[in-house]
Amino acid sequence: MSIFKSLPFRNIAGKPVRSFVLVLLTALLSLTVMGGSLIVSSLRKGLDSLEARLGADVMVVPYEQATKTKIEDIVLQGSTGYFYMDKTFMDKVAEREGIGEISPQFYLASASSSCCSIPVQIIGFDPETDFTISPWIKRSYGKELGKLDVVVGNDLNAFVGDTLTFYGQECHVAAKLDKTGTSYDTTVFANADTIKALIQSSLDLKMNNFSDIDPDKVVSCILINAGEGYSADEVVNDINLHVKKVKAIKTKEMITGISDSLSGVSEVIGILIAAVWILGVVILLLAFTMSVNERKKEFAVLRVMGASRRKLAAIVLQEALITGIIGGIAGVLLGLLIVLPFNSVIEETLKLPFLLPGAGGIAVYSAAALIAAAAAGAAASGISAFRISRIDTGLILRGEN
Amino acid sequence: MKKSNTFEKLTEIILVLLSVILTAGVKFLFHACGQKEDGSWMHCHDAEQTVFVLGIMLTVMSVLMLIFSEEKKKRWIKIIMIPTALTAVFVPNILIHMCMMKGMRCLSVMRPAVIIISLLIAAAAAVSIYYGRKNKES
Repeated sequence: MSIFKSLPFRNIAGKPVRSFVLVLLTALLSLTVMGGSLIVSSLRKGLDSLEARLGADVMVVPYEQATKTKIEDIVLQGSTGYFYMDKTFMDKVAEREGIGEISPQFYLASASSSCCSIPVQIIGFDPETDFTISPWIKRSYGKELGKLDVVVGNDLNAFVGDTLTFYGQECHVAAKLDKTGTSYDTTVFANADTIKALIQSSLDLKMNNFSDIDPDKVVSCILINAGEGYSADEVVNDINLHVKKVKAIKTKEMITGISDSLSGVSEVIGILIAAVWILGVVILLLAFTMSVNERKKEFAVLRVMGASRRKLAAIVLQEALITGIIGGIAGVLLGLLIVLPFNSVIEETLKLPFLLPGAGGIAVYSAAALIAAAAAGAAASGISAFRISRIDTGLILRGEN
Repeated sequence: MKKSNTFEKLTEIILVLLSVILTAGVKFLFHACGQKEDGSWMHCHDAEQTVFVLGIMLTVMSVLMLIFSEEKKKRWIKIIMIPTALTAVFVPNILIHMCMMKGMRCLSVMRPAVIIISLLIAAAAAVSIYYGRKNKES
């Protein structure tokens, strides 16, 4: 009896090429499920994080900036840039009806830092009125930011205690934000005093296009949350109607494009997974059918030796399950090895918010991919197992079938 | 005994292949960021050069290991390969500071690729030592 128990393992070890091909196929199946679902869930998590990160209902920017795509590039894509408008607009907007919370922001793009040729987006905020950035910063840094203290995004290669130099001003890294999967990850945050000092330095060094601005009298944009009883649409319409030279934008509308792209990417990934699975399952089905046909005599001999019809089917199913589990594990490991270390490349390629799930989420996706691959192998071998349990031993051993 | 020999040989061939992939890859496939507009290089270029030199050392050692037939010499080469490969793991961003953003090529492509391949080299060398010892015992 024990020989029947160890038979599936012996069969797998005895036919290394066949077993390797089956393992490879199931590995491919679990890899596609693992990689695909991990990427799609990271994109969804990135979009959720982006919605939470925007944190304001309405954004007011200089009118000429709203006609360009620049503002969306800075806020959503993490491109660097800056623009300013007179601070008096802040008072004009604040006087309008339906304003709940209101806070200004200051944008500044750093020149290439000393280590490399990539500029960094610097965002300044007013800690007294801010309601969008402070909640994120408080998670990583409980204290107030001082002058020339900065908080860096998670994707910046700088750590607490480091010194970063922007426009000749040495800034102290006070905290590093948690990963958000959005353009926040590549941004440097500072209070209004620091930003004003940096704008002044950029003007002194003639590295800023706005030579005639006074850092004390400008803001880049105004963020607004609608007051109780008012909708974002009402606030947007009221500002656009009554305040000249500025444009109010509903932030939810800004992420519509990203949401559409995400749906498109998810759809493509879904189609690819389905295509690989259909192809993989068909090949597995053929592989098991051919393998069982080749081994009819072997199974007939086992039947003569006392193996029941059920036992023969169990041997085929067990072989499929073992190769499925080995392949599933290999696929999951390969998926993790591709998606986890190279997630920045995927993010850069897709140009969409990308936030990997936590360890628990990754474990769930891994288990699901492993179960799916093992089940696919077992299901594909089901027909062959059924057929082999119905063989006519006599006919096969006489060579008539 | 035959099986141990086959596995040992297989791990040795894998070691040669991985060392060649690390050496050629860090220059042509998963290289660091390019030159700046002014012609100068970023910090990560130093890391690329260092990994390249370590890759050459690993390649030479792995080829010598294949040439030598004496088990003791082979084992010592494999032992030396482990810290050499682990040094390559720590070169990007720990021993040599890399660029500013994680999305940049040196941090998003070169660093994970170097870490994975170097760890595989160290693991393959350890497995090869194990099979070498097993072979000797039997």
